[in-house]
Amino acid sequence: MNAAAVGAPPRTRALIAAFDDLLGRAVSMRALALLRVLAGPAVLLHLQPFLSDAWDGRIYSDAFYEPYAAWYPELPDAVYVGVLSLGAVAAVAMSLGLLTRLATVTTFGVVAYNIFLSTTHFHNNRAYLLIVLGLLAVAPCGRELSLDAWVRRRRGRPALDTSAPAWPLWLLRFECAAIYGASGLSKLLDPDWFGGTVTWQRVVRERDALEAWPLPDWAVSLLTDRGFHTGAAKFIVLTELFIALGLWWRGTRYAAVWVAVVFHLAIETSAAVQVFSYLGIAVLAIWAVPSTRDRVLRIDPGRRRWATLVCGLDWLARFRVEPAPPGSPLEVVDRDGTTIRGAPAVAFVMSRLPLTAWFALPTLLLPAVRRARRGGGPAPAASVAANSAAGGS
Amino acid sequence: MVVVAVVALQLALVARGYLSDHKEFAFQMFPESSTWRADVVRVTADGRRVPIERPWSGYRWDELVQSRGLRYPWVRHHADAGLDNQLAFLDAALDWVADNTPRDAETRYLEARVTSWHNDDSPRVGVLRSHFREGVG
Repeated sequence: MNAAAVGAPPRTRALIAAFDDLLGRAVSMRALALLRVLAGPAVLLHLQPFLSDAWDGRIYSDAFYEPYAAWYPELPDAVYVGVLSLGAVAAVAMSLGLLTRLATVTTFGVVAYNIFLSTTHFHNNRAYLLIVLGLLAVAPCGRELSLDAWVRRRRGRPALDTSAPAWPLWLLRFECAAIYGASGLSKLLDPDWFGGTVTWQRVVRERDALEAWPLPDWAVSLLTDRGFHTGAAKFIVLTELFIALGLWWRGTRYAAVWVAVVFHLAIETSAAVQVFSYLGIAVLAIWAVPSTRDRVLRIDPGRRRWATLVCGLDWLARFRVEPAPPGSPLEVVDRDGTTIRGAPAVAFVMSRLPLTAWFALPTLLLPAVRRARRGGGPAPAASVAANSAAGGS
Repeated sequence: MVVVAVVALQLALVARGYLSDHKEFAFQMFPESSTWRADVVRVTADGRRVPIERPWSGYRWDELVQSRGLRYPWVRHHADAGLDNQLAFLDAALDWVADNTPRDAETRYLEARVTSWHNDDSPRVGVLRSHFREGVG
């Protein structure tokens, strides 16, 4: 038990013990491993303008910048460019999973150093990137989806445990939700934002750009109408708050993820937000239940393409693929033992693969799929037992 | 303890965002539709007020100040991260230019007469000045 809990009332002690248990429980690091792979390109995109300037012979100190603190170390020009280049190399190594921990820590160090060099370097998307890299650096997320793991296998050494204490995952979930929450709250508390003034003025000022889009006149009129923004602003604020809160509950999580993807794509088309959209969508992977291969997918060996497709896209390792009797339909056994077959099973599988989830999640609302998920027959006892052993929840 | 500390720090930074100019880690996205423009001049030792649109002593404002929407301050701009943030950057930029133009032997200080429109409020006019440059005048 946590030292802070000693001497506390029994109920508080129990609460702290439960909290400790939650944070210390070993869970799959698969989602963080996937995020690590996806974070590398975000770092390269982030460093690109700095490196591009450096190759043209310019660095931050050649023009206005504002150090956070006088004591913060500033490197000679050539060394600074070398450090940025090291950061780019480390980001590639981090994505590939080569000397993963070292690469991730180095990437984090370089990005952090560069951002804190000047107040002018700071943007919300970079702050989010920094948080993600910091938590990836402390999580053992290089034991799968990595060259390190591949080299280990090639040398015939046993694979390292891919589960680890859950606290970095919980912290990143908190940060992810906090970002939507803080953004939504700041707009909720600002009468100009919640009343629609801010969005209305932004759109009206960009009217020329809006008219350059292939939009009908009525759409342009609607988007520049103040009354429309009175409602639209509230919708935006409530969307952000819904994402922030909805991610925490199982019943609303998939809807929150789906809405978050739309939200990020909408932002990307309407504003320059550097790596925020890409990173925001990539981080959503961490909301997957942190256990792997705890659903069984049975595929007729004659339908090899299906098996290849699912295995290739199952980046979060949701399914254990087993052969089904020839001629039988696709069959999925969910964590609770529910068995789904045929088209509903296809929809379910696609809804659990990161690349197809956004398209497939709405199909889970179709009556036929809902019926199948509710009323599917129980799985054979052996499969249920295997599921339980895999730690499914 | 690490988790509790990080959560507390994050919440504190979100709260700090309502008070600070730069709002680091406060995640207040697209906070305002406010706009601003500024007439920036160099005030010389003999009292002349020379617009920074004109190059001086081999310097150009748009080469010295390139980021955070400050390159062409005389053009009305959106304050991307809010007016407080934008004007804090402009204030810092005036100081930086004052400190980093050693060939300029005539400028005593830089001054920006800023007109700002907070969302749809009426315009406000304010003045920002760099510190005095040593050894001039």
